[in-house]
Amino acid sequence: MLSAIVWLVIGMGAGLLGALEFSFPDLTKGVAQLSFTRLRPAHVNTVAFGWLSMANVGACLYIIPALCKTKLFSEKLANFSCYLWNIAIGVGFITLANGYTEGREYAEYREPIDILIVIALGSVSYNLFRTLLTRKVKKLYVSVWYIMGAFFWMPIIYIVGNRTFVAMDGLNDGILNWFYGHNILGMWFTVLGVGIAYYMLPKMSGKPIWSHSLSMFGFWTIAFFYAPTGTHHLLQSPVPEWLKALAVIFSAALVIPVISVLVNFYMTMKGSWWMLTTNMPIRFVLTGAFWYLITCIQGPFQATRGINWYIHFTQWVVGHAHAALLGTFTFFVIGALYYGIQRITGKRIYSVRLVKWHYWLLLIGFTLFFLALTIAGLQQSVGWALGYPVAQWSLTLMPMWLVRSIGGTLMFFSSCLFAYNIYMTLREQPISSALEIKVAVPIEGDSN
Amino acid sequence: MSDDNNKQDLKPQGIKGYLLPAVVVAFSFAVIYTVVVAIPNLPSLKSKPSEYAIEYIEKDKDGSIKRDSKTGKPVPNQAGRGRAIYAREGCFYCHSQFVRPQDRDFGSRVRAGDYANETPNVLGTSRTGPDLSNEGGKLPDEWHIAHLKDPRFYTPGSIMPSFSFLSDEELKDLVAYLQTLGRKRFDDPANRHIYEAYFPEADEAFWKASEHHKPNVDSAAAANAGAGIYRQNCAVCHGLNGLGNGPNALAMAKKPANFSDPKYKKYSNETWYWRVAEGVPGTRMPRWKLKLEPQQMWYLVAFLKTLPQDEKPIIEPYQSIDSAAWQSQSALPAGIVSNYEKLSAGAAKSGTGGSTNAH
Repeated sequence: MLSAIVWLVIGMGAGLLGALEFSFPDLTKGVAQLSFTRLRPAHVNTVAFGWLSMANVGACLYIIPALCKTKLFSEKLANFSCYLWNIAIGVGFITLANGYTEGREYAEYREPIDILIVIALGSVSYNLFRTLLTRKVKKLYVSVWYIMGAFFWMPIIYIVGNRTFVAMDGLNDGILNWFYGHNILGMWFTVLGVGIAYYMLPKMSGKPIWSHSLSMFGFWTIAFFYAPTGTHHLLQSPVPEWLKALAVIFSAALVIPVISVLVNFYMTMKGSWWMLTTNMPIRFVLTGAFWYLITCIQGPFQATRGINWYIHFTQWVVGHAHAALLGTFTFFVIGALYYGIQRITGKRIYSVRLVKWHYWLLLIGFTLFFLALTIAGLQQSVGWALGYPVAQWSLTLMPMWLVRSIGGTLMFFSSCLFAYNIYMTLREQPISSALEIKVAVPIEGDSN
Repeated sequence: MSDDNNKQDLKPQGIKGYLLPAVVVAFSFAVIYTVVVAIPNLPSLKSKPSEYAIEYIEKDKDGSIKRDSKTGKPVPNQAGRGRAIYAREGCFYCHSQFVRPQDRDFGSRVRAGDYANETPNVLGTSRTGPDLSNEGGKLPDEWHIAHLKDPRFYTPGSIMPSFSFLSDEELKDLVAYLQTLGRKRFDDPANRHIYEAYFPEADEAFWKASEHHKPNVDSAAAANAGAGIYRQNCAVCHGLNGLGNGPNALAMAKKPANFSDPKYKKYSNETWYWRVAEGVPGTRMPRWKLKLEPQQMWYLVAFLKTLPQDEKPIIEPYQSIDSAAWQSQSALPAGIVSNYEKLSAGAAKSGTGGSTNAH
């Protein structure tokens, strides 16, 4: 599923241009396809479905057979889903830029693309469940729970959340919109990302996870608490109060799975922290775990009424969303990709130096980006809370928009390096025969 | 042995092996469908339109819904078409449409029934620009169209994208939609007191008041009267000849408007008047209607129209804070004669300022 990387570059490029338009609003004046409001859905959908989903699915198609000690049910079906998914994202990018949208955040793709994605998703799900049925080990490892959970929930969420299948009016549409908008995060990206990290950490550190029962506790609490949280996006709107209360309580309760997951990650790494210095995949995964801590501590708190009152509607939330999807799950899956590409192809990575450049540019770029958005969000909060006209404080945000664009440029550049590195790796000759793949070395290098 | 048994159990046994998963999946879908679609769509539970809900569907004179002859779907009216453009162009990414209890200046809160006719929702979750729940009727149509085409000309410092790529027809539809937002709440006499607290003389009352002692804005006499008001109130920021180079301009983050910019040729009398009366939010430009009479503002409009507007803005920055330099610094460059000079050439000159010699 390397096509994901192409979509990462394209999606990030669209995001970067959108960010630049905050600094230079007339940059693409008169070009409808490049105006911010067209770029935004194109960026969000391409990065979320083109890059992150595809990369995650790719990683799962490797992890699930590996954990079940069996072969994938059908390689042909997997390739078919891959082509279908790529067609959907490609057509989606072009149609969104040209204004064919359903006009709903995170669910902008029009009907034909929705149907394509559901078919692709369904076939991947079917494929993985069939693989699971033919497994050679009885006990399911926690990653399998997480990943299979995601593949069970995601088709349901996607169908409920898109107007192609379920169209309602008025506020009901808003509630559904955010049921979907938050659950693709919670019951798809989070679950897949955590599942992948649960696979990567023990595998790379060579130690079993600290506590299996704690990991299962994390899985079942996330399964229980996540579904009704979406309404916290509409806390001050005329949505029924009981729904808001439910959303707030369940959002706050999400701190339980988060802490249990992180404790498990960190305790598994106990005594192996030195691996950070030489092992690049594990460095990516642990950086992801660090951002996971930040974003998931922010999350439950900013969903409470008192903080939501102040923070809602501002760029703080945009920073938070990026910390989850980019800071956490993108880092997780990049680690898995660097690890998997060597395992699957039996080739050494083309350049460890480039991996390090990728890591540092992405991390520094993202940190700048996140801080800029968070500070901008706090400035906006003051503006809204005191009721000043927007035009009065909008100029004070200009430095933040600029820093955000700089961070975005670094990240875009790092992704280009990533794509180049992977491309060159694929062109190389395998260093080992298929038999030796199992003992292929992780990426090693000097401490940096 | 037990291992072997386990393996045996895990193998799919024909159709039977899929029965349980199939039932689980079907049951989940059934539950979700019931909760999410069937129950809310029960006639008794469906959200009822409130008296402020906006109509987006074309209706015949007898009140029946007009339907497309081919598809049988209801035909959207102008506001409905505008709403589709609003959703298509993603206005909702930056403009919310629900007023929160803590918000000021956005009018009264919206209730659930007010959204009953709307789909897809455009509630919004981010505010990079202001809330638009009660935007209708606040500003004239021509202002909206011009602002959509060139936002920074009307709101300095705004980062709204330009929508100049929309056709005139689309812009009209979009503005028609914007003008309906909250309009019914605004027009309801029961709510009037809420709005009067926010917008003292908005809308019809504003334009009605403007007619009071309205002079002929094309006359030399009106321009002459306006010149005096301009020098007393405006010149200290905008400069004696409207080049945006009065002494106060030195210290301002957002510089005062330079009226020699050709863009101002597009200003109609009403736009000039509205701008003077309402000021520019977020800048030092005050709402002059709080200080000047309508008649005085019309005089000002008459004068402002006579200021020189060239192919390019004339830029003569004000450099010195020395009060003696103010006259010459603020003057027009050599060779440019203001229309005001031409207009009042026949009339007796007031003698103060307006010299055509710069240095």
